[in-house]
Amino acid sequence: MPGEKIAEGRINAPNTFFDGASTYAAVIGMVDDEGRYIPLENRYRPAVGDVVVGMVTDVRHAGYEVDLNLPQGGFIPTRDIRLTLQLGDFVICRVKTVNEVGDVDLGEVRRLPKGKIIEFPSAKVPRLIGKKSSMIGLLKDYTGGDIMVGNNGYVWMSERSDMPLLLKAIKMIERKAHKSGLTDEMANFLKSQVGDRPRTPTGGESEEGMEPGSAEGETASEPGYRNEQSGSSGENYGQQ
Amino acid sequence: MASSEGKIPLIINGKRTDGRDMEDLRNLRIEVGVIPEADGSAFVEWGGNKIVCGVYGPRECIPRHGASPYHALIKCRYMMSPFASLEEHSRSGPSRRSTELSKVIREVFENLIIAEKFPNTQIDVYIDVLQADGGTRTASVTAAAVALANAGIPMKDMVASVAVGKAGGMLAIDLNKLEDNFGQSDVPFAISHRDRKVLLLQMDGLLTRDEVIQMLEMAERGCDKVHEVQADALKRFYEKGEEEAVKW
Repeated sequence: MPGEKIAEGRINAPNTFFDGASTYAAVIGMVDDEGRYIPLENRYRPAVGDVVVGMVTDVRHAGYEVDLNLPQGGFIPTRDIRLTLQLGDFVICRVKTVNEVGDVDLGEVRRLPKGKIIEFPSAKVPRLIGKKSSMIGLLKDYTGGDIMVGNNGYVWMSERSDMPLLLKAIKMIERKAHKSGLTDEMANFLKSQVGDRPRTPTGGESEEGMEPGSAEGETASEPGYRNEQSGSSGENYGQQ
Repeated sequence: MASSEGKIPLIINGKRTDGRDMEDLRNLRIEVGVIPEADGSAFVEWGGNKIVCGVYGPRECIPRHGASPYHALIKCRYMMSPFASLEEHSRSGPSRRSTELSKVIREVFENLIIAEKFPNTQIDVYIDVLQADGGTRTASVTAAAVALANAGIPMKDMVASVAVGKAGGMLAIDLNKLEDNFGQSDVPFAISHRDRKVLLLQMDGLLTRDEVIQMLEMAERGCDKVHEVQADALKRFYEKGEEEAVKW
């Protein structure tokens, strides 16, 4: 609960604050076995280096405006990129700078092929990626398409994937994000839906300089990935 | 209502009109996540009060020139439905009363929300009273605190709220409509849970100094009880998982 003490002394963790003697929770969350604080809900605040997924909402002379599920959109300066984007294109990029009032400049832009973007709670993104991308790998294997997860909580999915199944699976992760053993549960669920044999991603997935290999690397190196430990924290509600 | 004071017996055989003791709260039930479209929401049923609260944002500030580059604006809109109580409420536009309540509720949360993290934005808190039975402002604060927690908006503290009043010559907690209208005094409190700050205190009617001090103690105990219900509601919601919780 907000205002609840997490630890004596200062702990540098997001979604907490320090009053001079102790550290307190600022959002609803839970403390795991190792005393780490895991938020259950938060509002995404962009940080330099974050990987974000978004949609181009405005094309201007100086650059592109991108919807990032934030109060302010992100901006891609034209001089930094070679590709030409169009209104409605999905992009994955890295946050280059964030200024004091929350304006975001983006770099390392890559266009994503046709697909769909859905919203996902940003606090639960680490669970959607899983340890060493295990969850995302599982989803890719069983739904036969590519998936990109941004720290901002936008999830892009390729039109090739089995959308209804994928949406169902993602909804399930969202609902059970705080439970342990989620990856195994997901594996069982997907098996029961698809059958034993994982569907290998169909060839020729890549379009316009986008290789599935590098995409995987991108996802795995996301900062959200740092929080991979949340596996064993399901029973910690008593400490709330 | 000073004119009708004392005309109705509010305490009979040491019990209040609804059978409660002086320190008993009415039944309080809180549900979290009742509005799927909102970032955070809560429903509070407190005695005869039924209140829905939805929180949206931080989102783009409208109008834009009103935005502050230093912190998020907190906007609060309390509204009583036309059918909320026996009295005439005509249409549900802003009235003198609802404007006041919006303001006091907003000020409670301006003290709690860590708004500096979201410059140039606004956080909207919409409170709708569906059914009113005395003490809607305290129930609204209670609901809004839960909804803000559900929205994941960073706050320094949780807040619970309860009214203490004087009915039939005795101090009583959580007044119902009858006691509010025909009692001597009504004092709503909102007290933050961790640092015990009084964030809302209004007084209606006359009280002695000792009575006010006694009331503060009663309110603190009452707020602790309310806080427990709030914590329990949030805990239940996150244990259940969102989908199931909506089916209340």
